[in-house]
Amino acid sequence: MKSGLMLRDPTAETSSGLRARVAPLASLANKTIALMDIGKMRGDEFIDRLEQLCHAQGLKTRRYKKPTNTRVAPREMIKDITGNCQAVIIALSDCGSCTSCSTHDLNDLDKNGLTGVSVLTEEFRQAFESQKSAIGFDAASVYVPHPMQNRTTAELHTIAEQAYDAILAAICSAKAPNT
Amino acid sequence: MSAGNLPTDGLVIFAKRHCETCAMVERVFEQLVRSSLPTAVLTQDDPTFPTLVKAVDDTELEQSFRFDVETVPTVIRLKNGKEVARAFGWNRADWERVTGVRDLGVELPAMRPGCGSLSREPGVWEELVARYGDSGLASRRIPIGEWNDEIETCFDRGWSDGLPVVPPTDARIMRMLQGTSRQPDEVIGLVPPNLVPISVEKVAINAVLAGCKPEYMPVILAALEAALEPEAAMHGVVCTTCFSGPILVVNGPITRAIGMNSGINCLGQGNRANATIGRALQLIIRNVGGGRPGELDRAVLGGPGKYTFCFAENESDPTWMPLSVARGIAPGKNAVTLFQGDGIQGFIDQRSRTPEQLTKSLAMSLLAVGNWKLCEFTNAMLVLVPEHYAIYRDAGWDRHRITRELHMAMVRSGRDVIQGALGVGEGIDPRRKDEMVNKFWPEGLLIVHAGGQAGLFSAICAGWTGGRFRHESKTITKEIRL
Repeated sequence: MKSGLMLRDPTAETSSGLRARVAPLASLANKTIALMDIGKMRGDEFIDRLEQLCHAQGLKTRRYKKPTNTRVAPREMIKDITGNCQAVIIALSDCGSCTSCSTHDLNDLDKNGLTGVSVLTEEFRQAFESQKSAIGFDAASVYVPHPMQNRTTAELHTIAEQAYDAILAAICSAKAPNT
Repeated sequence: MSAGNLPTDGLVIFAKRHCETCAMVERVFEQLVRSSLPTAVLTQDDPTFPTLVKAVDDTELEQSFRFDVETVPTVIRLKNGKEVARAFGWNRADWERVTGVRDLGVELPAMRPGCGSLSREPGVWEELVARYGDSGLASRRIPIGEWNDEIETCFDRGWSDGLPVVPPTDARIMRMLQGTSRQPDEVIGLVPPNLVPISVEKVAINAVLAGCKPEYMPVILAALEAALEPEAAMHGVVCTTCFSGPILVVNGPITRAIGMNSGINCLGQGNRANATIGRALQLIIRNVGGGRPGELDRAVLGGPGKYTFCFAENESDPTWMPLSVARGIAPGKNAVTLFQGDGIQGFIDQRSRTPEQLTKSLAMSLLAVGNWKLCEFTNAMLVLVPEHYAIYRDAGWDRHRITRELHMAMVRSGRDVIQGALGVGEGIDPRRKDEMVNKFWPEGLLIVHAGGQAGLFSAICAGWTGGRFRHESKTITKEIRL
């Protein structure tokens, strides 16, 4: 992300410079989690495993896939998620453009009242922080090891299993939801 | 030669094509470039100028800023990277002294003034300070991505009242601060409802957001000082479930100087000073004080005046005593009066011919403020238009007489306005049934003269309900410090 205009804060600066995110849900019972595949290769395999883990716990999910990771989600998709889901997991960003676009998607959904989390590879921690700062949104994230494009499906599933608890904790205040 | 490749021991010369003196001394530039001193000629406006020597492109004005060039041409002698002498404009003796080169431009007149440096043109300097210097601003920096829309960013950050705001860049803030002699770090007071200290710099940032011009700053600062007086009860006005917000009336020559509207449509849209001064105060309350609708601002309905409500009083009629003078400010001085009030209730009377008729008529409408049966409960501001005032003026009534007669016309029997009377639950304390009751406190009716010359339509602004606490919530007038 390139740097642009620099503004000065007109507020009392008593709070973070970032807009607070929608609070995590108290419980995932009777809620639908949107699993948003950003459209990047291999992300679907990671999400496949997340979906299995959710279903194994009785959690309801709804699957989405963006046409491309290089653009923000179509308005219809945002509308569908907003209308049918109460939380969103966006995965899996492992490049600059998908990090930027997926953060905008997360911001868009947050402004529509959905709590959410973005899953990214470690390499893009700084890019995500920069994008958060540029948007002014205190977005939630979970990082997984980088790289991921050269992993086997089994390895991707293992990474998903290792990240699962942290991902759920980001959208549900009960860290170990017992639903 | 690049700007980063200037001689540390030698000469730097600043020039621009659109300067006749620079063009005249082109031969001198050539003489100096061919001398034994390393010499760089920096051009501010056209990289192809001067034509006789190769110029360093300073169209970004970075070096002009760093060398603090005020006039072109300027020649600067550097030793060990430090300036040791400078001359500006064309003065052969000065240039020979600075450069140590003799017989410069012998065919030229001995002296010719230069032109202003582009780096010193209005609006440019602050941009250059923001880009290359130290703005001295203390507020938190908010970076935004190159591809992010800055207006949308301001919305997303919650800095807006719902309308687009002007993004507060360093250059804009610095220009705004030039509108006041007060230091940026001076603290004006504590802004409710969060009671947060506010500096002049924060005022300037919010004035930028609001779309103000620098010359509005003294008015904004005085309005803020008025709002922060404990008796302004701004904490209550911000958080109230009522409709109210600060209504600002500005008096004095500054209203003409900054182009405020006291005439046609002065309570409406279309005048930048009226619109943005009131808006700046509201944005300060929102952004610094934390008074955001739905959070601590709990107005059940609110009102359009909460975007902005600010106007100037018409002081063109010498028979009319301005509001500020009536409130103790010396004639001819600038002042802001802050009235805690609502939107307007139109007053229509196109038939009254005498002051007595008009007073009775006005009293009928004024009695409706808040509730016809409530007394000494809210204050009111009457904006008296020229054609209505003319009826009074022609009969010899002045501000004091009008105010007095209106109060007298609104005295009623308590029996008619106590709670339950006339089948209406609302009203005054039933224990006052045997009293004759005033509608307003003696100081609770403000009259302002404003509006276009044609139209028998005055306006009444109801005050907020905190006015019932006579000594706790008062109209505030502050002299404007220039």
